[in-house]
Amino acid sequence: MTRDKSHMEQVERWAEYVKNNPDWKKKHTEFINAQIEIANRFYKNLAKTPEGREKIKELRELKMKN
Amino acid sequence: MKREISDKNILDKFVDDFVKVIDKYAKYIIVSGFVAIAHGRSRGTEDIDMIIEKIPIENFINLNNALMNAGFECIQSSEPLTIYDYLTHSTSIRYTRKGEFLPEMELKFAKDSLDELQLATRIKLPLTGLDVYFSSIEMNIAFKEELLKSDKDIEDARHLRMIYKDSINEYEIIKIKKQIGQLRLREAKKYEKNF
Repeated sequence: MTRDKSHMEQVERWAEYVKNNPDWKKKHTEFINAQIEIANRFYKNLAKTPEGREKIKELRELKMKN
Repeated sequence: MKREISDKNILDKFVDDFVKVIDKYAKYIIVSGFVAIAHGRSRGTEDIDMIIEKIPIENFINLNNALMNAGFECIQSSEPLTIYDYLTHSTSIRYTRKGEFLPEMELKFAKDSLDELQLATRIKLPLTGLDVYFSSIEMNIAFKEELLKSDKDIEDARHLRMIYKDSINEYEIIKIKKQIGQLRLREAKKYEKNF
């Protein structure tokens, strides 16, 4: 989705929250970890499919190139 | 693909709970960065992007009330008419759980025939382990390669192409790219001319 002004407003709101709330790091880590967990879950599911392991190998190679 | 409740993290639960409400009132799709992450891209996203079909104000008021009753709030306003106004002027609205900052759902109305096509061709993607509707893989690739085009988007597209190489409909991608050219790129050029 292309970005509109609500994105920048949200960046400012979050920065304000970070400035005033020492617990921001915990919330942020939880959010980032959840994204990593979802990505990892995908690889587990992909590995169970025919050619899944081969695709994972190719994806790793692609990542190395980038 | 069904999973046990204990498998779900905060983002799974957030998406599940939000979608459960939306599904009763409008057709929806999840698009952009979250699609890439749900396919194993090791990058972050600040929010989950959702497009819903355009619905009349009365239905939207019911939808917004249902979201509030389910523990969500719109960051920009608590007034449904104001929120609806944002949506009809092609501005995103953002919902979080009450009193929380993260995660966040960014929601937009379908704005043209291309978005309507995205909704019509929506799909569940079992490999993600998420029981929600996404825009099709062909749509995601076409948007990333033809419209968004940042390094991150091009990498996302290559990643998706590799995963779904056995099932991607290349003709469909070409067709979508043509529509993007007609609808979105022309609009973007018009906007640039005016400024």
